Amino acid sequence: MTDRLRIIVAGVALAVCAGATAATGTQAADLAAGEKRYNVNCVNCHGKAGQGMASFPALKGREAAYIAEKLQTYRAREMVGPNSAIMMSLSSDLTDEDIANLAAYIADRFQ
Amino acid sequence: MTMKTSGRTASCVFAMGAAAVMLGTTAMANTNATTMTAEVILTGLQSPWDMALLDDGTMFFTEKCHGLSVRMPTGEVTPLLGMTGTEGYPETADDLFCEGQAGMQGVAIDPNFSENRQIYVYSTSSMTAPGTNRVLRMTVNEDFTGVSDRTDIVEDISYKPEASDQPFGGPGAHNGGRIRFGPEGFLWVTTGDIHGGTVPQSPTELGGKVLRIDTDGNAHPDNAAPEGFDDRIYTYGHRNVQGIAFHPETGAAITAEHGPWHSDEITVLENGGNAGWDPAPNTAGRGDCPSNYCGYEPNQFEGMNRYERAAYMPMTDLESYPDAMVPIWDNNGWSQGTSSAAFLEGSQWGAWEGALVVGIMGIGFGGTPIGQRIDVIELNEDASAVVDVTEMTLPIPSGRFRSVVSGPDGALYVAQDAGTIHKLMP
Ligand code: HEC
Repeated sequence: MTDRLRIIVAGVALAVCAGATAATGTQAADLAAGEKRYNVNCVNCHGKAGQGMASFPALKGREAAYIAEKLQTYRAREMVGPNSAIMMSLSSDLTDEDIANLAAYIADRFQ
Repeated sequence: MTMKTSGRTASCVFAMGAAAVMLGTTAMANTNATTMTAEVILTGLQSPWDMALLDDGTMFFTEKCHGLSVRMPTGEVTPLLGMTGTEGYPETADDLFCEGQAGMQGVAIDPNFSENRQIYVYSTSSMTAPGTNRVLRMTVNEDFTGVSDRTDIVEDISYKPEASDQPFGGPGAHNGGRIRFGPEGFLWVTTGDIHGGTVPQSPTELGGKVLRIDTDGNAHPDNAAPEGFDDRIYTYGHRNVQGIAFHPETGAAITAEHGPWHSDEITVLENGGNAGWDPAPNTAGRGDCPSNYCGYEPNQFEGMNRYERAAYMPMTDLESYPDAMVPIWDNNGWSQGTSSAAFLEGSQWGAWEGALVVGIMGIGFGGTPIGQRIDVIELNEDASAVVDVTEMTLPIPSGRFRSVVSGPDGALYVAQDAGTIHKLMP
Protein backbone atom coordinates (compact mmCIF):
# COMPACT_ATOMS: atom_id res chain seq x y z
CA MET A 1 0.00 0.00 0.00
CA THR A 2 1.42 3.42 -0.82
CA ASP A 3 1.71 5.96 1.94
CA ARG A 4 -0.84 8.18 0.34
CA LEU A 5 -3.28 5.29 0.16
CA ARG A 6 -2.58 4.40 3.75
CA ILE A 7 -3.47 7.93 4.81
CA ILE A 8 -6.72 7.76 2.89
CA VAL A 9 -7.50 4.38 4.39
CA ALA A 10 -6.76 5.74 7.84
CA GLY A 11 -9.12 8.60 7.11
CA VAL A 12 -11.84 6.18 6.08
CA ALA A 13 -11.16 4.07 9.14
CA LEU A 14 -11.52 7.19 11.24
CA ALA A 15 -14.82 8.09 9.68
CA VAL A 16 -16.06 4.57 10.22
CA CYS A 17 -14.94 4.64 13.84
CA ALA A 18 -16.60 7.96 14.42
CA GLY A 19 -19.78 6.56 12.94
CA ALA A 20 -19.54 3.54 15.19
CA THR A 21 -19.19 5.77 18.23
CA ALA A 22 -22.27 7.70 17.32
CA ALA A 23 -24.21 4.48 16.80
CA THR A 24 -23.26 2.68 19.99
CA GLY A 25 -23.09 5.80 22.09
CA THR A 26 -21.18 4.95 25.23
CA GLN A 27 -18.70 2.09 24.71
CA ALA A 28 -16.49 3.06 21.78
CA ALA A 29 -13.91 5.81 22.22
CA ASP A 30 -14.84 9.28 21.09
CA LEU A 31 -12.12 10.30 18.68
CA ALA A 32 -13.31 13.86 18.37
CA ALA A 33 -13.15 14.29 22.12
CA GLY A 34 -9.71 12.69 22.12
CA GLU A 35 -8.53 15.05 19.44
CA LYS A 36 -9.85 18.08 21.27
CA ARG A 37 -8.19 17.07 24.48
CA TYR A 38 -4.93 16.22 22.72
CA ASN A 39 -4.79 19.60 21.04
CA VAL A 40 -5.27 21.39 24.33
CA ASN A 41 -3.21 19.28 26.72
CA CYS A 42 -0.68 17.24 24.80
CA VAL A 43 0.21 18.80 21.45
CA ASN A 44 2.72 21.31 22.82
CA CYS A 45 5.05 18.59 23.94
CA HIS A 46 4.26 15.56 21.80
CA GLY A 47 3.67 17.49 18.57
CA LYS A 48 0.95 17.84 15.99
CA ALA A 49 1.66 14.41 14.53
CA GLY A 50 2.63 12.74 17.79
CA GLN A 51 6.18 12.71 16.50
CA GLY A 52 7.68 13.84 19.79
CA MET A 53 10.45 16.43 19.96
CA ALA A 54 13.24 17.59 22.19
CA SER A 55 12.97 15.43 25.32
CA PHE A 56 9.30 14.60 24.78
CA PRO A 57 8.86 11.06 23.42
CA ALA A 58 7.09 10.15 20.18
CA LEU A 59 3.64 8.62 20.55
CA LYS A 60 3.10 7.72 16.91
CA GLY A 61 3.02 4.11 15.91
CA ARG A 62 1.77 2.97 19.32
CA GLU A 63 -1.30 0.84 19.92
CA ALA A 64 -4.18 2.36 21.83
CA ALA A 65 -3.72 -0.20 24.59
CA TYR A 66 -0.09 0.87 25.04
CA ILE A 67 -1.00 4.55 25.31
CA ALA A 68 -3.86 3.86 27.71
CA GLU A 69 -1.70 1.66 29.89
CA LYS A 70 0.99 4.35 30.13
CA LEU A 71 -1.54 7.03 31.00
CA GLN A 72 -3.06 4.82 33.69
CA THR A 73 0.39 4.18 35.08
CA TYR A 74 1.16 7.89 35.26
CA ARG A 75 -2.23 8.62 36.79
CA ALA A 76 -1.48 6.04 39.49
CA ARG A 77 1.72 8.05 40.13
CA GLU A 78 3.99 5.22 39.04
CA MET A 79 7.18 5.71 37.08
CA VAL A 80 7.53 4.85 33.40
CA GLY A 81 10.69 6.68 32.31
CA PRO A 82 12.91 9.13 34.22
CA ASN A 83 10.70 12.14 33.42
CA SER A 84 7.48 10.57 34.65
CA ALA A 85 6.79 13.22 37.26
CA ILE A 86 5.60 15.69 34.67
CA MET A 87 3.24 13.13 33.11
CA MET A 88 1.93 12.15 36.56
CA SER A 89 0.89 15.68 37.17
CA LEU A 90 -0.55 16.08 33.66
CA SER A 91 -2.62 12.88 33.89
CA SER A 92 -3.89 13.25 37.42
CA ASP A 93 -7.26 14.62 36.36
CA LEU A 94 -7.83 12.32 33.37
CA THR A 95 -10.91 10.09 33.68
CA ASP A 96 -11.01 6.55 32.27
CA GLU A 97 -13.05 7.94 29.42
CA ASP A 98 -10.51 10.71 28.71
CA ILE A 99 -7.76 8.09 28.58
CA ALA A 100 -9.73 5.85 26.23
CA ASN A 101 -10.49 8.79 23.94
CA LEU A 102 -6.91 10.05 23.91
CA ALA A 103 -5.48 6.58 23.33
CA ALA A 104 -7.89 5.91 20.47
CA TYR A 105 -7.16 9.26 18.86
CA ILE A 106 -3.38 8.91 19.15
CA ALA A 107 -3.33 5.33 17.86
CA ASP A 108 -5.66 6.10 14.96
CA ARG A 109 -4.17 9.33 13.76
CA PHE A 110 -0.45 9.07 14.40
CA GLN A 111 0.64 6.04 12.38
CA MET B 1 19.57 13.13 4.28
CA THR B 2 18.46 9.79 2.93
CA MET B 3 18.20 8.09 6.30
CA LYS B 4 15.32 10.30 7.30
CA THR B 5 13.37 10.45 4.11
CA SER B 6 10.27 8.40 3.60
CA GLY B 7 7.47 8.71 1.11
CA ARG B 8 5.33 10.29 3.75
CA THR B 9 7.69 13.06 4.75
CA ALA B 10 8.42 13.72 1.12
CA SER B 11 4.77 14.45 0.43
CA CYS B 12 4.70 16.72 3.49
CA VAL B 13 7.74 18.56 2.16
CA PHE B 14 5.96 19.11 -1.11
CA ALA B 15 2.85 20.41 0.58
CA MET B 16 4.82 22.71 2.85
CA GLY B 17 6.94 24.00 0.00
CA ALA B 18 3.85 24.85 -2.00
CA ALA B 19 2.25 26.50 1.00
CA ALA B 20 5.35 28.55 1.71
CA VAL B 21 5.11 30.26 -1.64
CA MET B 22 1.84 31.88 -0.71
CA LEU B 23 2.49 32.54 2.91
CA GLY B 24 3.20 36.23 3.09
CA THR B 25 1.28 37.67 6.01
CA THR B 26 0.51 41.27 6.70
CA ALA B 27 0.15 42.39 10.25
CA MET B 28 -2.51 45.03 10.31
CA ALA B 29 -2.59 46.59 13.70
CA ASN B 30 1.11 46.92 14.27
CA THR B 31 3.12 49.71 12.71
CA ASN B 32 6.33 47.86 13.46
CA ALA B 33 5.37 44.67 11.75
CA THR B 34 6.71 44.03 8.32
CA THR B 35 5.32 41.77 5.64
CA MET B 36 7.18 38.55 6.07
CA THR B 37 7.61 35.56 3.85
CA ALA B 38 8.97 32.14 4.66
CA GLU B 39 10.83 29.40 2.88
CA VAL B 40 11.25 25.85 4.13
CA ILE B 41 14.98 25.19 4.27
CA LEU B 42 14.91 21.72 5.83
CA THR B 43 12.19 19.51 7.20
CA GLY B 44 11.92 16.05 8.75
CA LEU B 45 14.88 16.69 11.04
CA GLN B 46 15.33 15.15 14.50
CA SER B 47 15.14 18.01 17.04
CA PRO B 48 17.30 20.51 15.16
CA TRP B 49 19.18 22.49 17.79
CA ASP B 50 21.37 25.09 16.16
CA MET B 51 22.65 26.45 12.86
CA ALA B 52 25.66 28.47 11.69
CA LEU B 53 25.97 29.97 8.22
CA LEU B 54 28.85 30.94 5.96
CA ASP B 55 28.61 34.00 3.72
CA ASP B 56 27.57 31.94 0.69
CA GLY B 57 24.65 30.40 2.61
CA THR B 58 26.32 27.09 3.47
CA MET B 59 24.63 26.07 6.71
CA PHE B 60 26.01 23.77 9.39
CA PHE B 61 23.29 22.39 11.65
CA THR B 62 22.98 20.01 14.58
CA GLU B 63 20.28 17.49 15.46
CA LYS B 64 20.18 16.65 19.14
CA CYS B 65 20.43 12.86 18.86
CA HIS B 66 21.86 12.46 15.36
CA GLY B 67 24.79 14.82 14.95
CA LEU B 68 26.29 17.45 12.68
CA SER B 69 25.42 18.00 9.02
CA VAL B 70 25.88 20.70 6.44
CA ARG B 71 23.40 22.05 3.92
CA MET B 72 25.11 23.40 0.82
CA PRO B 73 23.79 26.47 -1.03
CA THR B 74 22.41 24.05 -3.66
CA GLY B 75 20.14 22.58 -0.97
CA GLU B 76 22.06 19.33 -0.84
CA VAL B 77 22.57 17.98 2.69
CA THR B 78 25.75 16.17 3.68
CA PRO B 79 26.05 14.41 7.04
CA LEU B 80 29.40 15.12 8.72
CA LEU B 81 29.65 13.66 12.21
CA GLY B 82 27.20 11.21 13.76
CA MET B 83 26.64 10.45 17.40
CA THR B 84 26.66 6.98 18.91
CA GLY B 85 24.17 4.62 17.30
CA THR B 86 23.52 6.71 14.20
CA GLU B 87 23.81 5.58 10.61
CA GLY B 88 24.42 7.45 7.40
CA TYR B 89 27.27 9.65 8.62
CA PRO B 90 30.77 9.33 7.15
CA GLU B 91 32.05 9.11 10.71
CA THR B 92 30.47 8.54 14.11
CA ALA B 93 31.91 9.56 17.45
CA ASP B 94 30.77 6.87 19.84
CA ASP B 95 31.29 8.99 22.93
CA LEU B 96 28.75 11.59 21.78
CA PHE B 97 25.31 10.68 23.10
CA CYS B 98 21.93 12.19 23.81
CA GLU B 99 19.85 11.82 26.93
CA GLY B 100 16.82 13.89 27.87
CA GLN B 101 17.61 17.51 27.05
CA ALA B 102 21.29 16.74 26.47
CA GLY B 103 22.93 15.84 23.19
CA MET B 104 24.49 17.73 20.32
CA GLN B 105 23.58 21.38 20.75
CA GLY B 106 25.29 24.60 19.65
CA VAL B 107 27.41 25.07 16.54
CA ALA B 108 29.66 28.01 15.60
CA ILE B 109 31.95 28.83 12.69
CA ASP B 110 35.44 30.20 13.29
CA PRO B 111 35.72 33.86 12.24
CA ASN B 112 38.81 32.80 10.25
CA PHE B 113 37.05 29.85 8.64
CA SER B 114 38.27 30.76 5.16
CA GLU B 115 41.82 30.17 6.36
CA ASN B 116 41.52 27.47 9.03
CA ARG B 117 38.21 25.74 8.14
CA GLN B 118 37.45 25.27 11.81
CA ILE B 119 34.02 24.82 13.36
CA TYR B 120 32.92 24.25 16.96
CA VAL B 121 30.18 22.05 18.39
CA TYR B 122 28.76 21.69 21.90
CA SER B 123 27.87 18.11 22.75
CA THR B 124 27.39 15.67 25.57
CA SER B 125 30.12 13.04 25.73
CA SER B 126 30.75 9.86 27.71
CA MET B 127 34.52 10.14 27.40
CA THR B 128 34.86 11.32 31.00
CA ALA B 129 32.64 9.37 33.41
CA PRO B 130 29.80 9.93 34.25
CA GLY B 131 29.53 12.17 31.19
CA THR B 132 30.26 15.84 30.56
CA ASN B 133 29.32 18.50 28.08
CA ARG B 134 32.16 19.44 25.80
CA VAL B 135 33.11 21.94 23.15
CA LEU B 136 34.64 20.23 20.13
CA ARG B 137 36.80 21.97 17.53
CA MET B 138 36.99 20.31 14.13
CA THR B 139 38.35 21.01 10.67
CA VAL B 140 35.97 20.76 7.73
CA ASN B 141 37.47 19.28 4.55
CA GLU B 142 37.60 21.22 1.28
CA ASP B 143 34.46 19.72 -0.26
CA PHE B 144 32.36 19.78 2.93
CA THR B 145 32.03 16.00 3.11
CA GLY B 146 33.79 15.33 6.38
CA VAL B 147 35.41 16.71 9.52
CA SER B 148 38.73 15.80 11.11
CA ASP B 149 41.23 16.88 13.80
CA ARG B 150 38.68 16.79 16.59
CA THR B 151 40.06 18.60 19.64
CA ASP B 152 37.90 19.00 22.72
CA ILE B 153 38.73 22.54 23.79
CA VAL B 154 36.44 22.35 26.83
CA GLU B 155 36.00 18.92 28.42
CA ASP B 156 34.50 19.60 31.81
CA ILE B 157 31.13 21.31 31.53
CA SER B 158 28.68 19.92 34.08
CA TYR B 159 26.26 17.19 32.97
CA LYS B 160 23.43 15.62 34.96
CA PRO B 161 24.04 11.85 34.98
CA GLU B 162 21.17 10.64 37.16
CA ALA B 163 17.48 11.26 37.60
CA SER B 164 16.28 13.45 40.46
CA ASP B 165 12.93 14.33 41.99
CA GLN B 166 12.17 17.33 39.77
CA PRO B 167 9.89 18.16 36.86
CA PHE B 168 11.79 16.88 33.80
CA GLY B 169 14.01 15.34 36.45
CA GLY B 170 15.56 12.75 34.16
CA PRO B 171 19.26 12.67 33.37
CA GLY B 172 20.52 15.28 30.91
CA ALA B 173 18.58 18.29 32.25
CA HIS B 174 19.71 21.93 31.84
CA ASN B 175 22.80 22.03 29.68
CA GLY B 176 22.67 25.56 28.25
CA GLY B 177 24.52 24.69 25.06
CA ARG B 178 24.64 27.76 22.79
CA ILE B 179 28.09 28.71 21.46
CA ARG B 180 28.74 31.97 19.61
CA PHE B 181 31.74 34.05 18.60
CA GLY B 182 31.71 37.54 20.04
CA PRO B 183 32.79 40.64 18.12
CA GLU B 184 36.40 40.36 19.32
CA GLY B 185 36.81 36.80 18.06
CA PHE B 186 36.48 34.91 21.34
CA LEU B 187 34.10 32.00 21.80
CA TRP B 188 31.24 32.30 24.29
CA VAL B 189 29.74 29.15 25.76
CA THR B 190 26.50 29.04 27.74
CA THR B 191 25.82 26.28 30.25
CA GLY B 192 23.05 25.11 32.59
CA ASP B 193 22.60 24.27 36.26
CA ILE B 194 22.02 20.50 35.68
CA HIS B 195 19.44 20.54 38.52
CA GLY B 196 22.40 20.91 40.85
CA GLY B 197 21.56 23.05 43.87
CA THR B 198 25.06 24.38 44.41
CA VAL B 199 26.25 24.37 40.80
CA PRO B 200 25.35 27.92 39.60
CA GLN B 201 27.18 29.68 42.44
CA SER B 202 30.07 27.20 42.50
CA PRO B 203 33.40 28.86 41.62
CA THR B 204 34.75 25.73 39.96
CA GLU B 205 31.88 23.79 38.40
CA LEU B 206 31.16 25.07 34.91
CA GLY B 207 27.37 24.55 35.00
CA GLY B 208 25.19 27.67 35.32
CA LYS B 209 27.85 29.87 33.71
CA VAL B 210 28.76 31.80 30.61
CA LEU B 211 32.35 31.10 29.53
CA ARG B 212 34.55 33.29 27.35
CA ILE B 213 37.49 31.44 25.83
CA ASP B 214 39.85 31.46 22.86
CA THR B 215 39.73 28.86 20.12
CA ASP B 216 42.07 26.59 22.06
CA GLY B 217 39.80 26.69 25.10
CA ASN B 218 41.97 29.07 27.15
CA ALA B 219 40.39 31.76 29.27
CA HIS B 220 40.10 35.27 27.85
CA PRO B 221 42.77 37.21 29.79
CA ASP B 222 40.29 39.86 30.89
CA ASN B 223 37.63 37.55 32.37
CA ALA B 224 36.87 39.07 35.76
CA ALA B 225 34.98 36.51 37.85
CA PRO B 226 35.75 36.72 41.58
CA GLU B 227 38.93 35.37 43.16
CA GLY B 228 39.00 31.60 43.18
CA PHE B 229 36.70 31.16 40.19
CA ASP B 230 37.68 29.14 37.15
CA ASP B 231 39.24 31.76 34.89
CA ARG B 232 37.15 30.73 31.88
CA ILE B 233 34.04 32.08 33.61
CA TYR B 234 32.64 35.40 32.36
CA THR B 235 29.39 35.31 34.39
CA TYR B 236 27.92 32.86 36.90
CA GLY B 237 24.69 32.26 38.82
CA HIS B 238 22.68 31.24 35.74
CA ARG B 239 19.93 28.63 35.45
CA ASN B 240 19.86 27.48 31.84
CA VAL B 241 21.15 29.89 29.21
CA GLN B 242 20.21 28.82 25.69
CA GLY B 243 20.51 32.20 24.01
CA ILE B 244 23.40 34.61 23.58
CA ALA B 245 23.83 37.44 21.09
CA PHE B 246 26.02 40.52 20.81
CA HIS B 247 24.65 44.01 20.46
CA PRO B 248 25.55 45.29 16.99
CA GLU B 249 26.62 48.73 18.30
CA THR B 250 27.89 48.24 21.84
CA GLY B 251 29.14 44.66 21.43
CA ALA B 252 27.58 43.76 24.79
CA ALA B 253 26.83 40.08 25.35
CA ILE B 254 23.12 39.58 26.00
CA THR B 255 21.69 36.27 27.19
CA ALA B 256 18.24 34.70 27.04
CA GLU B 257 17.49 32.22 29.77
CA HIS B 258 14.75 29.76 30.79
CA GLY B 259 12.98 30.48 34.03
CA PRO B 260 11.63 27.83 36.45
CA TRP B 261 7.80 27.92 36.07
CA HIS B 262 8.27 31.74 36.14
CA SER B 263 10.47 34.59 34.90
CA ASP B 264 12.34 33.90 31.69
CA GLU B 265 15.10 36.47 31.52
CA ILE B 266 17.11 38.57 29.13
CA THR B 267 20.24 39.95 30.73
CA VAL B 268 23.00 42.28 29.56
CA LEU B 269 26.08 40.55 30.91
CA GLU B 270 28.69 42.31 33.00
CA ASN B 271 32.16 40.83 33.11
CA GLY B 272 32.44 38.75 36.28
CA GLY B 273 28.80 39.29 37.11
CA ASN B 274 26.43 37.09 39.11
CA ALA B 275 23.05 36.39 37.53
CA GLY B 276 21.66 35.66 40.99
CA TRP B 277 20.27 32.14 40.60
CA ASP B 278 20.89 30.05 43.70
CA PRO B 279 18.75 26.93 44.06
CA ALA B 280 20.88 25.47 46.88
CA PRO B 281 18.96 24.03 49.85
CA ASN B 282 18.94 25.90 53.15
CA THR B 283 19.63 29.29 51.63
CA ALA B 284 17.62 32.53 51.47
CA GLY B 285 15.00 31.31 53.91
CA ARG B 286 14.35 28.02 52.14
CA GLY B 287 14.84 24.67 53.89
CA ASP B 288 15.57 21.23 52.51
CA CYS B 289 14.41 20.62 48.97
CA PRO B 290 13.75 17.53 46.83
CA SER B 291 17.05 16.04 45.66
CA ASN B 292 18.85 19.07 47.15
CA TYR B 293 17.53 21.41 44.45
CA CYS B 294 15.11 24.21 45.31
CA GLY B 295 14.72 25.48 41.78
CA TYR B 296 11.00 24.68 41.43
CA GLU B 297 9.98 25.41 45.00
CA PRO B 298 7.70 26.01 46.74
CA ASN B 299 5.60 23.75 44.54
CA GLN B 300 7.25 21.60 41.87
CA PHE B 301 4.30 20.14 40.03
CA GLU B 302 1.15 22.22 40.36
CA GLY B 303 0.15 25.51 38.80
CA MET B 304 0.66 28.47 41.10
CA ASN B 305 0.78 32.25 40.89
CA ARG B 306 4.03 33.15 39.16
CA TYR B 307 4.75 36.18 41.33
CA GLU B 308 4.44 34.10 44.50
CA ARG B 309 6.87 31.67 42.96
CA ALA B 310 9.25 34.47 42.03
CA ALA B 311 9.12 35.88 45.55
CA TYR B 312 9.96 32.50 47.05
CA MET B 313 12.61 31.31 44.57
CA PRO B 314 13.72 34.28 42.47
CA MET B 315 15.55 33.89 39.17
CA THR B 316 17.67 36.87 40.21
CA ASP B 317 17.97 37.01 43.98
CA LEU B 318 18.78 40.65 44.67
CA GLU B 319 18.30 40.21 48.39
CA SER B 320 21.04 37.61 48.74
CA TYR B 321 23.12 39.11 45.91
CA PRO B 322 22.50 42.88 45.81
CA ASP B 323 25.08 43.32 43.04
CA ALA B 324 23.53 40.69 40.78
CA MET B 325 22.89 41.65 37.15
CA VAL B 326 19.31 42.86 36.87
CA PRO B 327 17.51 41.38 33.83
CA ILE B 328 16.12 43.85 31.30
CA TRP B 329 13.12 41.58 30.48
CA ASP B 330 11.34 38.92 32.51
CA ASN B 331 8.67 37.77 30.05
CA ASN B 332 5.97 39.36 32.20
CA GLY B 333 6.82 36.91 34.91
CA TRP B 334 6.06 33.85 32.75
CA SER B 335 8.31 30.92 32.00
CA GLN B 336 7.69 29.81 28.43
CA GLY B 337 10.99 28.27 27.44
CA THR B 338 12.88 31.28 26.10
CA SER B 339 15.68 29.71 24.12
CA SER B 340 17.71 31.45 21.48
CA ALA B 341 18.56 35.07 20.71
CA ALA B 342 19.86 37.01 17.70
CA PHE B 343 19.94 40.58 16.42
CA LEU B 344 18.15 41.48 13.21
CA GLU B 345 20.65 43.01 10.83
CA GLY B 346 20.13 45.22 7.78
CA SER B 347 17.81 47.96 6.65
CA GLN B 348 15.45 45.42 5.08
CA TRP B 349 14.06 44.92 8.59
CA GLY B 350 12.83 48.52 8.66
CA ALA B 351 11.96 49.64 12.17
CA TRP B 352 13.13 46.28 13.45
CA GLU B 353 16.71 46.75 12.27
CA GLY B 354 18.98 46.19 15.25
CA ALA B 355 16.23 44.64 17.38
CA LEU B 356 16.82 41.50 19.42
CA VAL B 357 14.71 38.47 18.55
CA VAL B 358 14.17 35.56 20.90
CA GLY B 359 12.69 32.15 20.17
CA ILE B 360 10.21 30.84 22.72
CA MET B 361 9.08 27.22 23.22
CA GLY B 362 6.22 27.19 25.74
CA ILE B 363 4.48 24.02 26.88
CA GLY B 364 1.53 25.61 28.62
CA PHE B 365 2.16 24.04 31.99
CA GLY B 366 0.08 24.90 35.05
CA GLY B 367 -2.06 27.61 33.47
CA THR B 368 0.80 29.38 31.69
CA PRO B 369 -0.18 30.72 28.25
CA ILE B 370 1.61 28.53 25.70
CA GLY B 371 3.41 31.33 23.92
CA GLN B 372 5.31 29.45 21.24
CA ARG B 373 6.52 32.49 19.32
CA ILE B 374 9.32 34.82 18.31
CA ASP B 375 9.45 38.11 20.17
CA VAL B 376 11.05 41.20 18.67
CA ILE B 377 12.61 43.19 21.48
CA GLU B 378 13.73 46.73 20.85
CA LEU B 379 16.43 48.02 23.13
CA ASN B 380 17.39 51.58 23.91
CA GLU B 381 20.49 53.09 22.36
CA ASP B 382 23.03 51.86 24.88
CA ALA B 383 21.29 48.47 25.15
CA SER B 384 20.57 48.93 28.83
CA ALA B 385 16.77 48.65 28.73
CA VAL B 386 13.88 47.29 26.71
CA VAL B 387 11.89 49.91 24.84
CA ASP B 388 9.26 47.76 23.16
CA VAL B 389 8.30 44.12 22.68
CA THR B 390 6.34 42.89 19.66
CA GLU B 391 5.35 39.35 18.87
CA MET B 392 6.46 38.59 15.33
CA THR B 393 3.57 37.96 12.98
CA LEU B 394 4.71 34.65 11.65
CA PRO B 395 4.24 33.46 8.08
CA ILE B 396 4.59 29.87 9.36
CA PRO B 397 2.75 27.84 12.01
CA SER B 398 4.06 28.50 15.49
CA GLY B 399 6.09 25.87 17.29
CA ARG B 400 8.95 25.45 19.71
CA PHE B 401 11.53 27.90 18.34
CA ARG B 402 14.80 26.37 19.52
CA SER B 403 17.20 28.42 17.46
CA VAL B 404 17.12 31.81 15.74
CA VAL B 405 20.10 32.86 13.64
CA SER B 406 20.69 35.99 11.55
CA GLY B 407 21.88 34.84 8.14
CA PRO B 408 24.51 36.50 5.95
CA ASP B 409 21.71 37.27 3.47
CA GLY B 410 19.85 39.35 6.05
CA ALA B 411 17.19 36.69 6.60
CA LEU B 412 16.34 35.12 9.95
CA TYR B 413 16.81 31.36 10.07
CA VAL B 414 14.66 29.62 12.67
CA ALA B 415 14.64 25.99 13.84
CA GLN B 416 11.63 24.35 15.44
CA ASP B 417 11.96 21.29 17.67
CA ALA B 418 9.34 19.50 15.59
CA GLY B 419 11.95 19.17 12.86
CA THR B 420 11.90 22.15 10.52
CA ILE B 421 14.26 24.98 9.67
CA HIS B 422 12.72 27.98 7.94
CA LYS B 423 14.18 31.10 6.46
CA LEU B 424 12.09 34.16 7.34
CA MET B 425 12.43 37.24 5.21
CA PRO B 426 11.06 40.70 5.86
C1 HEC C 1 5.01 19.24 29.43
C2 HEC C 1 5.21 18.36 28.30
C3 HEC C 1 4.21 17.23 28.15
C4 HEC C 1 2.86 17.32 27.97
C5 HEC C 1 2.02 18.59 27.93
C6 HEC C 1 2.39 15.97 27.81
N1 HEC C 1 3.42 15.10 27.89
FE1 HEC C 1 3.29 13.07 27.69
N2 HEC C 1 5.27 12.91 28.12
C7 HEC C 1 6.09 13.96 28.42
C8 HEC C 1 7.36 13.43 28.86
C9 HEC C 1 8.58 14.25 29.30
C10 HEC C 1 7.25 12.03 28.81
C11 HEC C 1 8.29 10.98 29.24
C12 HEC C 1 7.94 10.67 30.71
C13 HEC C 1 8.71 9.54 31.32
O1 HEC C 1 9.94 9.64 31.42
O2 HEC C 1 8.07 8.55 31.73
C14 HEC C 1 5.92 11.74 28.34
C15 HEC C 1 5.42 10.43 28.15
C16 HEC C 1 4.17 10.15 27.65
C17 HEC C 1 3.69 8.82 27.33
C18 HEC C 1 4.49 7.53 27.44
C19 HEC C 1 5.29 7.33 26.18
C20 HEC C 1 6.08 6.06 26.20
O3 HEC C 1 6.27 5.48 25.13
O4 HEC C 1 6.52 5.65 27.28
C21 HEC C 1 2.42 8.96 26.88
C22 HEC C 1 1.49 7.84 26.42
C23 HEC C 1 2.08 10.36 26.95
N3 HEC C 1 3.17 11.05 27.42
C24 HEC C 1 0.87 10.89 26.59
C25 HEC C 1 0.52 12.21 26.80
C26 HEC C 1 -0.82 12.71 26.66
C27 HEC C 1 -2.02 11.89 26.19
C28 HEC C 1 -0.77 14.03 26.98
C29 HEC C 1 -1.95 15.00 27.07
C30 HEC C 1 -2.95 14.63 28.04
C31 HEC C 1 0.60 14.36 27.30
N4 HEC C 1 1.34 13.24 27.21
C32 HEC C 1 1.05 15.63 27.63
C33 HEC C 1 5.81 15.30 28.29
C34 HEC C 1 4.55 15.82 28.13
